[in-house]
Amino acid sequence: MTLRNPDREAVAHGHITNEPIRQKPGVPSWVLKLIMAVTGLLFALFVVGHMAGNLKLYLPAEGGDEALDEYGAFLRSMGEPLFPHEGALWIIRAVLLVAIIAHIYGAFALTARSKASRGKFRRSNLMGGLDSFATKSMLVTGIVLLLFIIFHLLDLTLGVQPIAPGDFAEGAVKANMIATFSRWPVTIVYVIAMCFLFLHLTHGIRLAASDLGITGAKWRQTFLILAYVIPAVVCIGNIVMPLSVALGLVS
Amino acid sequence: MKLTLEIWRQAGPTQEGHFETVQVDDASEQMSILELLDHVNEGYIERGEEPFAFASDCREGICGTCGLTVNGRPHGPGQNTPACQQRLFNFTDGQTIKLEPFRSAAYPVIKDMIVDRAALDHVMEQGGYVSMDAGTAPDADTLHVNHETSEYSLDHAACIGCGACVAACPNGAAHLFTGAKLVHLSLMPLGKEERGRRARNMVDDLEANFGHCSLYGECADVCPAGVPLTAVSAVTRERARAAFRGKDD
Ligand code: HEM
Ligand code: SF4
Ligand code: FES
Repeated sequence: MTLRNPDREAVAHGHITNEPIRQKPGVPSWVLKLIMAVTGLLFALFVVGHMAGNLKLYLPAEGGDEALDEYGAFLRSMGEPLFPHEGALWIIRAVLLVAIIAHIYGAFALTARSKASRGKFRRSNLMGGLDSFATKSMLVTGIVLLLFIIFHLLDLTLGVQPIAPGDFAEGAVKANMIATFSRWPVTIVYVIAMCFLFLHLTHGIRLAASDLGITGAKWRQTFLILAYVIPAVVCIGNIVMPLSVALGLVS
Repeated sequence: MKLTLEIWRQAGPTQEGHFETVQVDDASEQMSILELLDHVNEGYIERGEEPFAFASDCREGICGTCGLTVNGRPHGPGQNTPACQQRLFNFTDGQTIKLEPFRSAAYPVIKDMIVDRAALDHVMEQGGYVSMDAGTAPDADTLHVNHETSEYSLDHAACIGCGACVAACPNGAAHLFTGAKLVHLSLMPLGKEERGRRARNMVDDLEANFGHCSLYGECADVCPAGVPLTAVSAVTRERARAAFRGKDD
């Protein structure tokens, strides 16, 4: 690094500068890292549950009601009568919203700090390989995931035109899903987004294990396996659904 | 062997630097990277020109003084090897080798390839030691540390303070360096007493100059002391432990 101003006081004590790169930040980096790890793992659990629920697409209809639609109705009524109608669902939504805001704030704040710490000479000649690539692209894959989440909410939760299919109807979960994936460009968006999710999650799970201080050989090994298994299962499950609809296998 | 070298020249901390191209026709495979620089410098000195400044001391991989970036990688292409131990057989005849200082905003350049690693000393000054008077050596068997614990602690005590981990990290983090010290001392009977205070002070100081850990794993790949990558986890874990515990130990 080249300094702009010589620090005479520091030089007198045998140093080049005594000036730290940043003053004490409002939220320390270690706290941001813990927040990212916890919220990231929460999303990991969420995407597993989300996929498992949607696989009811393939269950046969019972008594005239589609299994997936019944599941959708359950999500709205779950927790009753302790919570009001849709109460539990809104609690989950609020937690996820707060978590994603914290996760994104952490991502940008930490990236900015690290850029300043690294300085203008970027590291080149990295080891390479899948994990090195996934690590390098965390911010990019994260931003793509954010855009995808917005797209997905407009499409299948809110039913906003023109992203949602023309005949979107609230509560008709299976019909909406079939309508949306009957459009090839939309199916392709979902498939590509899942590849980004795989990259983000495979490194994310390993990173979260490290941030949460897991160092024992057996737990480390367990997380290493989970870091491939969870993203692979979620990714394959979520790709099979749109593809099978697009190929006309579900009606 | 013939080599084309691009060597960093920087007159001082406030001047901009640049690469200077040097042709070497008579390098030998047994030379270390530092000996190659010595060889280049001899020519410069004979011609009455300014040689390239670089740091080294023991030249046997124990002091942590040497350190430069070779083709973008701190210390050079060999895994877990300090620059003074990296031999030219890792390169091919006719290759271009780029030699520059360790790169990090926390390492201001003093001259050419010599950087000031005082930011690391600063972290160490916050608690990389045992501050109580430990007295003379105790009788054997009065302090019980089992073999596994002492080996684990020693693996982390192996850090020679070269600072390559920071230069290897795309985030400019010093987690391997700091984590190694936190693990090393927290396992020993006297070091344990200050485990919480040490973590609080060292990690807070660390964050003033260094980045966060994204687990690239580059640090552990270049570390000449072979400090294991798990050391980086100690930074967040030990700091969080200290915060929740709120005590000195
Ligand atoms: C479904 C959505 C998401 C999931 C499942 C997810 C999961 C994770 C996990 C498990 C981690 C590791 C946490 C850590 O220890 O630091 C992580 C890290 C990260 N996430 Fe996400 N994330 C999601 C969305 C996002 C979004 C929307 C962004 C950004 C705009 C983002 C940016 C990042 C970045 C940059 C890191 C790396 C932090 C670092 O380098 O230390 N993520 N994510
Ligand atoms: S941890 Fe390894 S690379 Fe980092 S300063 Fe210590 S010896 Fe050098
Ligand atoms: S000169 Fe001492 S470690 Fe290289």
